[in-house]
Amino acid sequence: MVSLLLFELRKHFMKKPLIIAIVCFSLLNVAKISSEYHEKSLLSPETNLKWHDLYWGDFYEQFSGVMTDQKIETLMSIYQPLEKKTADKTASTDSDNPNTYTGNLYNDHLFFKWNFVDPMEYSYLYKQYANDVVHKANENLTFFEAMGNDYEYEKNRIILDRFQGRRIDSFAYTEMFQYYIHYDFSAFLVILICLYALMSVFIIEKETDMDILLVTTQAGGQATTFVKILSTTLFVCAVSFWFGCIDFISFAHFFGSLEAISLPIYAIENFANTSLNLSLGEYALLSLIVKTIGFLVVSYFCLFISLFFRNALLPFIICLFFMLGFIYFQEAFMGSERIILKVVNPFNLLIHRELFRGTEFVNIFGFPVLSYTAAIFLAFVYGGISLMAIFLFQNKNTVYRIGVSKSGDFEI
Amino acid sequence: MEISFEGVSKKYKKKWALKDFSSHLEDGIYGLLGENGAGKTTLINIFVGILKSDQGRILIDGRDIEKIGIGFLSQIGYLPQYPQFYQDFKVIEFLRYMSVLKGIPKGKGEKRAKELLEMVNLSEAMDMKIGALSGGMRQRVGIAQAMLNDPDILILDEPTAGLDPQERIRFRNLITKFSKNRIVLLATHIVSDIEHVANQVILLKSGELIKQGSPQQLMDQIKGKVWSITVTDDTLEEMLDLKISRMMRDEQGIHLRVIADEKPDDRAIHVKPNLEDVFLYYSSEGEKW
Repeated sequence: MVSLLLFELRKHFMKKPLIIAIVCFSLLNVAKISSEYHEKSLLSPETNLKWHDLYWGDFYEQFSGVMTDQKIETLMSIYQPLEKKTADKTASTDSDNPNTYTGNLYNDHLFFKWNFVDPMEYSYLYKQYANDVVHKANENLTFFEAMGNDYEYEKNRIILDRFQGRRIDSFAYTEMFQYYIHYDFSAFLVILICLYALMSVFIIEKETDMDILLVTTQAGGQATTFVKILSTTLFVCAVSFWFGCIDFISFAHFFGSLEAISLPIYAIENFANTSLNLSLGEYALLSLIVKTIGFLVVSYFCLFISLFFRNALLPFIICLFFMLGFIYFQEAFMGSERIILKVVNPFNLLIHRELFRGTEFVNIFGFPVLSYTAAIFLAFVYGGISLMAIFLFQNKNTVYRIGVSKSGDFEI
Repeated sequence: MEISFEGVSKKYKKKWALKDFSSHLEDGIYGLLGENGAGKTTLINIFVGILKSDQGRILIDGRDIEKIGIGFLSQIGYLPQYPQFYQDFKVIEFLRYMSVLKGIPKGKGEKRAKELLEMVNLSEAMDMKIGALSGGMRQRVGIAQAMLNDPDILILDEPTAGLDPQERIRFRNLITKFSKNRIVLLATHIVSDIEHVANQVILLKSGELIKQGSPQQLMDQIKGKVWSITVTDDTLEEMLDLKISRMMRDEQGIHLRVIADEKPDDRAIHVKPNLEDVFLYYSSEGEKW
């Protein structure tokens, strides 16, 4: 079986054009992440010339770590005078003021506001926000218990359980994770690579007329179908992992920090309402796993579609059409109240912020199920159906189909 | 080893691709002869399990192949029509892959692959990519892969299609070499492929078995029905309605080889039939020439 698997990997995935495509797309991905940093980061030289050195050289060490009253007082002692001086917009706009940090008062004000005050304020106030949610959930529990509404009662019990005890005690540089978890370009590249590579997995046998020969060999039927799926799974996982690593390492490299890796995921403002109680580092891992599940589901589906064609172009176009359709629906229902429409779209596992950034439920037989749990469960169902359909529709040898079940002596 | 086909039939929509085919095969080379669409590939596909027959059964040494199970596949070697194989694979790599598919242990498969490459005269090309091989070389790779598991039954579907005359002769010699102690079923519509190598010829027409016998028996059956007539350019036209199997021009005129039950012309003289005459006699039976 191992030999068969190695031959399948060699046959479909060790091709020069595919390897060139992966290398080119990897470089493109790194370039895109570099441009993300240079265009979006507050600390990039293109955005603000002096902020990077000022942030890391003069202030980060002073304010990072556990937030204490002393740190806050020190920060306010710098920030509040700046706020006053710039409040009426009459301060000098000169950019060479020697009595400022950045050469300009407004720039100083924004530097402290965006890099320290706003993020620290959010972190500091989050505990209160979480307490409010817990308090509200507690009230709802009493109310829905009295009303006999089990579904809403259970929903609030989960919310209470998830939000209880939440707090953000430390301040760290979160910009890297902020952009990392909102980065989707690599998912699109992985999809394109998978589509390109997987189209030939079954079609190559038809193009070369090997499909006929395969079914006349002992391991050319179900066993070959099985190793084709296994090799596809390995390839998709490897490509997903490769691009996941490139994303993480490139973001860490360009943003120059992994400081926030141990902060909770809700330290990112867009995830204030998340149901997850993971650190940003753990979320990065979860994100990679969920994305990989999504890629696998989409890949199995594409493999199934390709079964019915003799050349790769048409199924490639059909699968691309489906992918674009999934992307369209993903965009259309982003932020929508119709959670079920998000959950049923397998593409939501690839761009999964929508599933994780809030605490949303799907009613399944009267039980509130967190939307991401339902989406992952559905993905397994889709994957299972696609795999079963592949086994059902793939060529079989009619002679030994009966023989195998009777003799049961099928070995490789 | 014996193969018995018992009333094997296959129908596509309303047309019989194979109708009530019954035959008995023992060790030797069997030429499955018929025009395109005669049912040769259908018969082979049913035998190797690519297609399921609508009726009938196939027995090997008295056992139904459907009941033999996976073991049946280890007994056959099969070369399909127009195989391309994987263009990116090297010859030896492809044979290693086929060994794995056929369940041959690694060391044994490697040894057998190299032996076969030697036999088919491809040892020098073992590291060449299949995409770089000529049609004849690819067919030789095809026969090598079919022989990997040392099968009792070797099935070759149109193995000389697309080969030049020299390659065809080389291929025929190979088949003869491999036919010892096994059943070789060779489907073709090219008579010369089997004329000198087949022990028996199975003639198919429109999905039905027309004749089965040794080449000599079949030729004897049409004895007296093959004629030679020498004509000139002026008289050629009046002969064109006859079943002419060959036409040859020399100083004396145009020599026509004609197949007819009755003497077609006063000038006609009997000649000894060959297998091509047999093929033409039966395949054009009942048809206007």
